[in-house]
Amino acid sequence: MSRDVWILVSLGLVAALTAVTIGFISWGVSNHAIGFGFWIGSLLTLGIFSYLYKDNAFYKFSEHLFVGVSASYWIATYYWTQIDTNLWGRLFPAQFPHAGHQQNLFYVIPLILGLFMLARMIPSIGWISRWSLAFIVGLYAGLRLYGFLQSNIMEQTRDSLRPLYIPGSFVDSLNNTLIVVGVICALLYFFFSREHTGAFGVASRVGIFFLMISFGASFGFAVMGRISLLIGRFNYLIQASDASTGYASAVVTAGMVLLLGIGALRSRGDTQEA
Amino acid sequence: MKFWEFIGSLDRRIIFLIIGLAVFIPLLAPLKLPVITTPTTEDVYNAIDSLEAGSKVLVSFEYGPSTQPEIEPMAIALARHLFRKKCEVVGMALWPDGQFMSTLVFDRIADKEFGLTWGKEYVNLGFRPGGEAVIKGIAREFRANYTQDVRGNSVNDLPIMEGVYSVKDFDFIFSLSAGYPGTVEWVLYAADPYKIPMSSGTTAIQVNEVIPYVKGGQIYGILAGMSGAAEYETLIATPDDATKFMDAQSIAHLLIVVFIVVGNISYIVQRRKQN
Repeated sequence: MSRDVWILVSLGLVAALTAVTIGFISWGVSNHAIGFGFWIGSLLTLGIFSYLYKDNAFYKFSEHLFVGVSASYWIATYYWTQIDTNLWGRLFPAQFPHAGHQQNLFYVIPLILGLFMLARMIPSIGWISRWSLAFIVGLYAGLRLYGFLQSNIMEQTRDSLRPLYIPGSFVDSLNNTLIVVGVICALLYFFFSREHTGAFGVASRVGIFFLMISFGASFGFAVMGRISLLIGRFNYLIQASDASTGYASAVVTAGMVLLLGIGALRSRGDTQEA
Repeated sequence: MKFWEFIGSLDRRIIFLIIGLAVFIPLLAPLKLPVITTPTTEDVYNAIDSLEAGSKVLVSFEYGPSTQPEIEPMAIALARHLFRKKCEVVGMALWPDGQFMSTLVFDRIADKEFGLTWGKEYVNLGFRPGGEAVIKGIAREFRANYTQDVRGNSVNDLPIMEGVYSVKDFDFIFSLSAGYPGTVEWVLYAADPYKIPMSSGTTAIQVNEVIPYVKGGQIYGILAGMSGAAEYETLIATPDDATKFMDAQSIAHLLIVVFIVVGNISYIVQRRKQN
């Protein structure tokens, strides 16, 4: 079965589900009871999961829909929260009274910079967009520099200067010693102006061990995060398998497994023929 | 020896299936494993618990549907704790989809569970784009950045916003963060420069980035992913989704540890055989 046929089949499935649900609703069953959203949610969730088996039309359809919906959602949200309220509302308060701003013609500058960004779509004047980019880069570099200096360098350096010996508390003393040794050795590892040999090499090697422990902790947290997301989706599918939703996830799972199975058998047959 | 070769060449889809079952079965048949609280979660609880009634708390929603299973349980537990303490909660979002997330939490907890009054005991101001620029902006002049709430009411008409002209007028900031902009930006541009007490709940993957601020005393504790949410639910004595999900989380972790050990043994055995 060709790729185009698969896309048509999956689109047909979505259309059929939509038609059935609309049919139920029109017969007087409430939207909530049918759980139209659960059908779509189940189809898209399982469509994305189906990639774990192999790349297929369900996955491609779900992925492309996600990209399209995300882009449109972001554009709409940015327009109504920023351009409508914060730009038009300040430049033309009489025409946009819901924004609640006084007129401020200073906002002509961001409008011009914004239009410069759109110049990228016309290659002959695309270079103008660099002015806007330069403004953004300069602004954020300035903002971040100040914040990083205070919070990440000054505060963190201050916290790293700990007493190595705390009378009466062996655990705290050990903890502080580990932090001080770890910080110094990890920093030495990133000092490349001298060859990592002798005592310097030993210290930088100790630094690697501390870095490895940090990466291990990151990996552990990453696993926990991903499993949490999987749990969230599975919980959704369990909710969607309820009778009040019309057994949405169960039906969609069965349909998808059937279609993928037929596809696998057909492709095996094609391979054998070849 | 053949066993280790078989393990080493196992189809990855079988591993996916086993992990899937390890997560799915405990969700259907919970084991009710105990949840042990950690000091970083206790710090968050103590910081919120020490707030007086009527304290103004700014809760920023920096997550979306993709990280909802991790952050929403902690957002719900936090909202319950804040409303029990009779704090006045102002919600905002630095992520576009954060506005949806905050609406879900406020509708469920503030409106349906506690029956609180919009604009008086809580309000949702919604999303503003700009990341750290928004934080800098509200630190200087709050009402220049937020003129109305998500329902279109003027900020000047909201009783809860009386006396709030800058982020400095809040008694506490809580960032529910899944990345950039998020907790790090709140520390850099609000908590540290203006010495505003702050705490955070983050995705597990972000914990390593934020934990130095906790250890440095720049923020009060951290709710670390789903386990942090489950611990917080335990501390406020209201077990909910996170507690329910922790069984699946623990079993899956155990299984992954087993896979790592078995995979490494298989690798070592095969390498020795080749040598």
